[in-house]
Amino acid sequence: MHRYQTPSADDTAYIDSVVDRVEESLDDSLLPVDIFNDDRIFAAEMQRIFTKTWVFLGHESEIPNKGDFVMRRIGTDRVILSRDSKGIIRVLNNHCRHRGTEVCHEDRGNTAVFKCPYHGWAYKNDGDWAGAPQMNDAYGEKLDPREWGLLRAPKVESLFGFIFASLSEDVPPLREYLGDAVWAFEAVVNLHPDGMEVLAQPEVFTVKADWKNGAENFAGDAYHVGTTHYSNTLSGFIPGLNNVSVVAHGYDFGNGNSFIGHSIADLIAPQFTMWGYPPEVRDLFDLDRLDDVQREMIENRPPTIGTFFPNFSYLRFPQPANPGEMPIPFTNIRVWQPVAPGVMELWTWEFEYKVAPQAYKDKAYLAGQYGFGSGGVFEQDDTVVWEGIAKAGRSAWAREAGMRLHFRQKRTGPDPEWQGPGKYYPSIYGEYLQEAFYRRWVDAMRSHNQTMKAETKAADLAVREAAVVAAAAAAVEDEGILTEGAQA
Amino acid sequence: MSTTTVNTTAGNTAATVTDTGALTQEQIRHLAEDFLAREAKLLDERRFDEWLTMIDDEIVYEVPIRSARLSFEDEVSGGGYRIRDDKPLLALRVARLDSGQAWAEVAPSRTLRVVGSVIVERGESADVVNVESALLLYRQRGHDELGDVIPVRRQDQLRLTADGPRLLRRTALLTTAILQTPNLGVFV
Repeated sequence: MHRYQTPSADDTAYIDSVVDRVEESLDDSLLPVDIFNDDRIFAAEMQRIFTKTWVFLGHESEIPNKGDFVMRRIGTDRVILSRDSKGIIRVLNNHCRHRGTEVCHEDRGNTAVFKCPYHGWAYKNDGDWAGAPQMNDAYGEKLDPREWGLLRAPKVESLFGFIFASLSEDVPPLREYLGDAVWAFEAVVNLHPDGMEVLAQPEVFTVKADWKNGAENFAGDAYHVGTTHYSNTLSGFIPGLNNVSVVAHGYDFGNGNSFIGHSIADLIAPQFTMWGYPPEVRDLFDLDRLDDVQREMIENRPPTIGTFFPNFSYLRFPQPANPGEMPIPFTNIRVWQPVAPGVMELWTWEFEYKVAPQAYKDKAYLAGQYGFGSGGVFEQDDTVVWEGIAKAGRSAWAREAGMRLHFRQKRTGPDPEWQGPGKYYPSIYGEYLQEAFYRRWVDAMRSHNQTMKAETKAADLAVREAAVVAAAAAAVEDEGILTEGAQA
Repeated sequence: MSTTTVNTTAGNTAATVTDTGALTQEQIRHLAEDFLAREAKLLDERRFDEWLTMIDDEIVYEVPIRSARLSFEDEVSGGGYRIRDDKPLLALRVARLDSGQAWAEVAPSRTLRVVGSVIVERGESADVVNVESALLLYRQRGHDELGDVIPVRRQDQLRLTADGPRLLRRTALLTTAILQTPNLGVFV
């Protein structure tokens, strides 16, 4: 398994040269293959991207009650996503501040306190230090709860119930970070005031491919469907998959955030507007929430697939829950979770509108899981086509030859009449969105260039720590909760 | 090594019995173990169409999502599943594999299924037997140099029919919470 290392000066020069080479290649609509499996690039991605930008962790419906928590990842770290006893959502580092032992050992649960199994340091579910055994003899007095609390992600925000966190304070607010993509995401997941909810816990599986391949694919690759997934036409399940990309469109919202749209009604049947939601669900939607362009968009070419940089994607497409039945849309959310160079965990969740009838939710879950996830008749094949890319990324021959990948599909340009935010490409061909994803990657790898000397970093950290401690001291601490937490 | 046809219905005298009341516990055990061994061989040899004939038309074939929890009872409490198929959905998976373009299994995995720790009990009705077993599935994918081990505990129900036992229900509880093989392109 990958071991995280802070890059040396030599490493930094190497990483920067690779990033430069990626940008030069993109100017030529090419991409060096070695970024998909490289120890130093991977380490730099963890440091420059995953500790510096907003990443998706989960949905509010996964932790509806005070004390609920789920275990998630940011980069290679396992983190606790917790709803504390006051109802505030927290993202906590899972390591005890005393010796570093992991304090949470479950994928989900409900607790008032996380207790370290080593010496017994205890933490409230908001991360604050709550107590330790034989406190008076061992320490003489209570420790400062925030100074010695679990590390807490400084930024946690929720968008339509979807929770994102940043380990860096130096990020714009989530809505600003996602920019125009929020406009389109709203039209996908916010069609009813009660929003969407998870239908079950996520499934997780290890894929021998780089996280960027999944993110890139969902950012704009409608072209692969006719080849990668054609077995599902040959089996008699879904007709015409070889022609799906003909009715696919692209939405580019900038900053590596982009969606694919499909004219599903042209593909299946006229009533398949709005993803093909049947009347019992569609009639529940409150479309007055949307503007005219959003309404026209979801009516005729609804966003079906998309990526928020770096590793959050979604998928909503109609599929029969049983062979021969009418296709119904399911909503699948996923994270391309890096775990090592050329290796990721794929996390997938099925969602549905909270207000939808239970029978519909059950069917949508079945349809989604039959297509996607580790057993999915679509996703299985994605997992193997991406594996080859990771192997090419390690290839000595490919590196010696300077092998670069082809992003040169014919480009017919964006629609000049488009009234919505961002750019709309009537034809998905052109690989604009994939190129935009990698340009965002270049920016992220550059803007947090790791040239800071260790001393500077330490000094910076001390200043931040002091600010946090001061803020904690200023806040009036509830002694009752502290004691309660320590005893639990 | 022979890969000649294995008759999935003959080979045991109890095959045509449809009432467990007429059988001893030893006969029921023999019947269940024989079924699991023959099923494993058919799947290892990718004789999926023959395998489907061993599946009851009313099958529920389920692979629940398992989580890391402090209590065993809570491990599948999330209600999610990786796979939940009925007979038509299983048959569709087989048709997909037969298409030659199901890339997860092109080139196909070479597998070995070892089934053991079999526990056999009479079921709720006279024609149903509850069978629990442990499966170690070794899978060397066509894409890999090294193989994956997929450990599973299976809770099955077999329905006794005049044509032999049929798989009526399978809950395949994977040992792993995070699946280590890249997909479930093989039947567990």
